[in-house]
Amino acid sequence: MPAQAVRYSPLAQIFHWVIAGLIVVQFTLARLAEPLPLGVHKLAILARHKSVGMTILMLAVLRLLWRLRHRAPPLPPGMTRFERMAARGTHVAFYVLLFAMPLTGWTMSSAKNYSVSWFGLFTWPNLIGKNEAAFDFLRTTHDTLSYVLFAVAVLHILAALKHHFWDRDDVLVRMLPFTKGARRS
Amino acid sequence: MMRMPMRFAAGVCAAVLTAMIASIASAATYSADATSRLEFTGVQAGAAFKGVFHQFTAAVDFDPAALATARIEVTIDMNSVDSGDKDRDGTMRGADIFDVAHFPSAHYVTRSVTRTATGFSAVGALTLRGVTKDVPIEFKFAPSAAGAGLSGTAELKRLDFGVGRGDWKSTEWVADAVKIVFSLNLKPKT
Repeated sequence: MPAQAVRYSPLAQIFHWVIAGLIVVQFTLARLAEPLPLGVHKLAILARHKSVGMTILMLAVLRLLWRLRHRAPPLPPGMTRFERMAARGTHVAFYVLLFAMPLTGWTMSSAKNYSVSWFGLFTWPNLIGKNEAAFDFLRTTHDTLSYVLFAVAVLHILAALKHHFWDRDDVLVRMLPFTKGARRS
Repeated sequence: MMRMPMRFAAGVCAAVLTAMIASIASAATYSADATSRLEFTGVQAGAAFKGVFHQFTAAVDFDPAALATARIEVTIDMNSVDSGDKDRDGTMRGADIFDVAHFPSAHYVTRSVTRTATGFSAVGALTLRGVTKDVPIEFKFAPSAAGAGLSGTAELKRLDFGVGRGDWKSTEWVADAVKIVFSLNLKPKT
């Protein structure tokens, strides 16, 4: 059998943890901005939310390109067909959401005629023209997808913990930096 | 017998004089028609945004050969601001930005016009949000059969006029500098 990586590579781990961290930042910023009236504070928080979102989109492009050229370490033996499908589905959902969240956010900003800046360094082009109906629809979609993302993330974390503490396999550890190889090869 | 012709002559003289003065004054007197545009570009959270004032009037006395008498006067209905988002427009009309309830209009009138390499420049007084300050403009003047085109640019600092109070005073998220672009389609005043 050809040797296959047991652990995720350092680059895969960087993609995973940086994006995970930025998603936490995104939920936090969105929560902070939501109750505020239209004003400088809301503007400032949303500007950061948009900059971080565009960062995630760029990382998602790189990550997808990288992922298409590299295989993930195999799932441990002994997983049921349902578990394999659930794992696969969760990861596919993550990739879809990594694009859908920033793209709906970017488009919704365009529809409201607010161009998206990247940390004040440059401005992204508007994806669509001013369109109030499109804004309302995209805002609802962006909100709804954020709940889906939250649910998928919870499932993902619970599954990783279940693998680690219940199944006692290496699924969690192989994505953790600064840990020695897998518990089981 | 002599009184009538004298009075008649005086009357004719007065009429001719009045007509002459009127014709001098009206020769270069224009007003901007409805296709004229007055736009501004601000920077918000690092990204530029454009707005227009839909309602404004402009009275222009302009003869390139007589710049000493040139005069451009514009009155802007601040309520007619349109930045392409009604929430932002509402905020701009509010007390912290334009405060249209207290300052419904802005006014600009030139004081002196000079010729430049590419067109003309003028210095004028802008009254915005109750504050009057000089704002220079650069423009081109192109006479046509139907009237004239007058288009140009200006740049001002919003905080010079107190546009932005409270949190909006900060220039971290809304830049101080605002660019103005105008293109007036001038028709002779009737």
